[in-house]
Amino acid sequence: MGAQQREYKKRIRSAQGMKKIFKAQEMIAAARISKAHARVLATTPYADAITRAIGSVATHSSDLEHPFLEQDRTSTGRAGILLITSDRGMAGSYSPTAIRMAEELANKLRAEGKTPVMYVVGRKGETYYRFRNRPAHRAWAPYREEELGALGAEIADVVTADLLSTDPAVHLDELYAVGTRFVSRFQQFARATRLVPIQVVDGSETGTAPTYPLYEFAPDAEAVLDQLIPRYLESRIVNILMQSMASEHASRQKAMKTATDNAETQIRKFTRLANSARQAEITQELTEIVGGADALAGSGRKER
Amino acid sequence: MSTLAVTFVSADRTLWTGEAAQVVVPAIDGSMGILPRMQPTLAVLGQGRVRIIAENGEASEREIDGGFVSMDQDVVTIAVDTAARHETSR
Repeated sequence: MGAQQREYKKRIRSAQGMKKIFKAQEMIAAARISKAHARVLATTPYADAITRAIGSVATHSSDLEHPFLEQDRTSTGRAGILLITSDRGMAGSYSPTAIRMAEELANKLRAEGKTPVMYVVGRKGETYYRFRNRPAHRAWAPYREEELGALGAEIADVVTADLLSTDPAVHLDELYAVGTRFVSRFQQFARATRLVPIQVVDGSETGTAPTYPLYEFAPDAEAVLDQLIPRYLESRIVNILMQSMASEHASRQKAMKTATDNAETQIRKFTRLANSARQAEITQELTEIVGGADALAGSGRKER
Repeated sequence: MSTLAVTFVSADRTLWTGEAAQVVVPAIDGSMGILPRMQPTLAVLGQGRVRIIAENGEASEREIDGGFVSMDQDVVTIAVDTAARHETSR
């Protein structure tokens, strides 16, 4: 076997090995999407309940007062950005897209004269900022997929404390979240949303707002609202985290599918090349034999 | 007698759903019992036990800490911050 053939065979073997790994990764991701999506759906009842509850308090008393509801809370010019990325790579454009969106948002805020303060989840985002010598204000990395709920609660605690702080070096005026929305396993997109100030959906604006019964509040409407608002924020953050997690898996599945296909193309290509190399070798050997025989025949020697 | 349609959820999962005859929740200003046809109520929860009593008298309990409960037309939604993983009695 010639050197060329050996080289092609080596490449084919390595591509086959990689293909197996990619295929396995793809299947793991595919299995995790449905689990992650189920977890997103599991948070929906809580989110619905809390949204409905806030809506009913809002319609009940018009003079609501809560620091998160004030539309103009400008005092320090600091705006928090919660960025959600993945811990691991091999997920295609998942993390880079989210990071790019966060950077766009940060630039926009800077143009408005505000100071963006980064809260980053995931090692990819954390290293991005550390590498550029402007580390995130707070970073959660690495994190565990099974503990997203607890992580969400912790993040909510930290940002709530910063939002309510009276210390001008810590206080945040606004809070944005950049995560990846999970539409379906074929469609996810990065999105930036404003979490604080909270936009209470007013019934008069939409026209088709649900009508809430006249609730009795225990202990009273004010106290209920004080309890509900931080929980609303937390449930939003948990939801964004979980949607991002599901998107990460979907994105990884897609990337690994492409990688598997590419490995297959490589294998096919190198098989062709190896075949033609083998054929060329055979042809050459034949030519040499025939040429040798011709040369002997032409030399005039009779005996063999 | 009508029953209560109960949804018992925490921030990241649904703990229990189904029909119940009676629900007892630890409201912040004292334990509160919920029976069918109660007036619409929205209450903040403190620390304590949520007890859900099914129609056949079977009770299930869970230790919780913080949250809220809403009651409207026999639909009870209990949303809690933290709940013990396992039911203490069945």
